[in-house]
Amino acid sequence: MNVEFNQDQKLMQQSAREFAEKFVKPVAKKLDDTQEFPVELIQRAAELGFMGVAIPEEYGGAGMDSLSYTIMMEEIARYCGSTSVILSVNNSLVCGPLLKYGTEEQKQKWLTPLAKGEKLGCYGLTEPNAGSDCAGTKTNAVDKGDHWLLNGAKIFITNGSHADTALVFANTDPGKGNKGISCFIVDMKSPGFSVKPMHGKMGIRASGLSELVFEDVKVPKENLLGELHKGFKIAMTTLDGGRIGIAAQAIGLARGAFEEALQYSKERVQFGQAISNFQAIQFMLSDMGMKIDAARLLTQKAAWMKDMGQNYNQQASAAKLYASEIATWVTNRAIQIHGGYGYTNEYNVERYFRDARVCEIYEGTSEIQRLVVAANLLGR
Amino acid sequence: MKIYVCCKQVPDVAMTIQIKDGKFISEGMNYVLNAYDASCVEEALVLKEKYGAEVTLVLIGDEAGKEALRKGLAMGADNAFHISDPALNNLGSQAAAKVLQAFFKGRDFDFILTGKQAQDSDMGLAGGILSGLLNLPYVTNAVGLDVQDKMIVVKRQGDEGVEVLHMPMPSLITCSNDMNDPRIPSLKGIMASKKKPMEQVSLTDLGLSADEVLKESQKSSLKSFGLPPARKAGAKIEGDAQTLVATLMEKLTKEAKVL
Ligand SMILES: Cc1cc2nc3c(=O)[nH]c(=O)nc-3n(C[C@H](O)[C@H](O)[C@H](O)COP(=O)(O)OP(=O)(O)OC[C@H]3O[C@@H](n4cnc5c(N)ncnc54)[C@H](O)[C@@H]3O)c2cc1C
Repeated sequence: MNVEFNQDQKLMQQSAREFAEKFVKPVAKKLDDTQEFPVELIQRAAELGFMGVAIPEEYGGAGMDSLSYTIMMEEIARYCGSTSVILSVNNSLVCGPLLKYGTEEQKQKWLTPLAKGEKLGCYGLTEPNAGSDCAGTKTNAVDKGDHWLLNGAKIFITNGSHADTALVFANTDPGKGNKGISCFIVDMKSPGFSVKPMHGKMGIRASGLSELVFEDVKVPKENLLGELHKGFKIAMTTLDGGRIGIAAQAIGLARGAFEEALQYSKERVQFGQAISNFQAIQFMLSDMGMKIDAARLLTQKAAWMKDMGQNYNQQASAAKLYASEIATWVTNRAIQIHGGYGYTNEYNVERYFRDARVCEIYEGTSEIQRLVVAANLLGR
Repeated sequence: MKIYVCCKQVPDVAMTIQIKDGKFISEGMNYVLNAYDASCVEEALVLKEKYGAEVTLVLIGDEAGKEALRKGLAMGADNAFHISDPALNNLGSQAAAKVLQAFFKGRDFDFILTGKQAQDSDMGLAGGILSGLLNLPYVTNAVGLDVQDKMIVVKRQGDEGVEVLHMPMPSLITCSNDMNDPRIPSLKGIMASKKKPMEQVSLTDLGLSADEVLKESQKSSLKSFGLPPARKAGAKIEGDAQTLVATLMEKLTKEAKVL
């Protein structure tokens, strides 16, 4: 594994950084305040090719590697959690499985516009009563001969309010648990498909989080993704890829808060000197920087293993677990360094803290990541 | 139209500059396209979109220079020349202009754009010297470019306002970064830039010897680098308008003694 980026990756970093500084940074606070989905910003991101980074050019993507994808995620999350999660869902949770499991026709019809960013995707796995245990999926699809009939509901769906295409996991063989779940590509304009935006979130408030409701939604037969009853495997392998992106997102958020805290510590004067002169503050800063570096290396290793075609299940979980936990820790310390000001929305650090917190929950909670790592260690 | 843009790679300002014993530490440094040159590329691309043109980049530098060239190609330039030779490291403006003179000898073009200066050295000499060596009409600090009736219409920022000049072709123009907002290379552009022609040019190809270049380089040479002293923390005055003004006046008269 090479720790120095290649030319493509360096250029990607420059482009992502310029985009983030020029377009994301100025609106991040407003997005959090208004909870409005950043339609124009995502449009711009699409023009730059950020919606299908690791998807081959023949399917409308940029044809770059997973490491480049983590670079982009970090640069954007450095300023905004909402914007980065919108990109991560489209890239890894929707385009990823369409590329891996889609037929040629499905790739042409569904993947290409999503990777180009002409359409937006969402990933519908979680249900009110099936979170960590997605085998408990109640949404069901019944074979009606020439189509599937979809009924049920999904909750906590990022991008839901603005997406065009949903990947929906549904039960096709009730009573079989994991072994009876299938994945469907669903056009969100289908009759019977409704979306209810969810508000009142702690962080990443502009990500279009929604409930999806299916009432007798007819899904064409050819929209089954992968094999029948093999949806659970699609869900799990997709999350492996997704977790690398969430790890990078957590690192970006931690870095954003860290940079602000570092700057603030040099400017804030107490007892006649900059607070950065106090060893207590220096120790916090050094731990913050060190943890961010460590998390980044774990994440790059997982991305590199993915690019090499190796099994990266354990490394993706470990990276996501570590990066999300240090992001909560680092953003929390950033508030501490800012003192009372850090507790107000006059500064960004409280937003970074709120945005970072969800990284320990979505795409598998920290507890679930530990289960995955342990299962690998114990060979189960 | 045929437009050449002379570019330079400069250390990425987003990274920490390290200096040891008066020497600049380049290991681990990222090099990026000089911002003034990025403005040249942007302007050339706008003209290309408007009137049709071939945009060619020229850069003198080591391996790191290729990255700057690729950025320009990723923005949309058509092709690039990478002039590289061990003798060409740390060139002064005079020597760089000499090398470029040899490069342009016998080439056909409508105009040459260069940044008005480089972000790292801030010399602002190479463009002017090159125009002299090539015997080309020359204008500095352009903030706008257009083409009308085979003339280049240059808006240049002067001391007292913007001047509009009509220049014949070929000419050499140095550009300000106030001219435009360079486009961000898309990922598609980055990937496409790998397939665009980038020709390697050596000193021998240019008919120059290392000694000749060295002689030019020695006309002015860089002795050592140093970091500027760290800025002292400023003072923050708080309170209502009355207190603010009163405290400020007090500080200006008694502490700074400028009033
Ligand atoms: C902002 C946001 C965006 C989201 N976006 C999406 C999306 O786009 N698509 C989607 O499908 N889902 C999405 N989710 C859902 C998310 O993936 C789930 O919330 C998550 O998987 C946890 O499920 P749950 O909320 O039902 O918690 P539960 O599964 O009920 O967990 C509650 C607690 O129990 C623990 N726990 C559960 N099982 C075990 C076990 N076996 N061992 C030990 N501890 C356990 C958990 O770790 C947690 O601490 C999103 C969630 C949020 C908050």
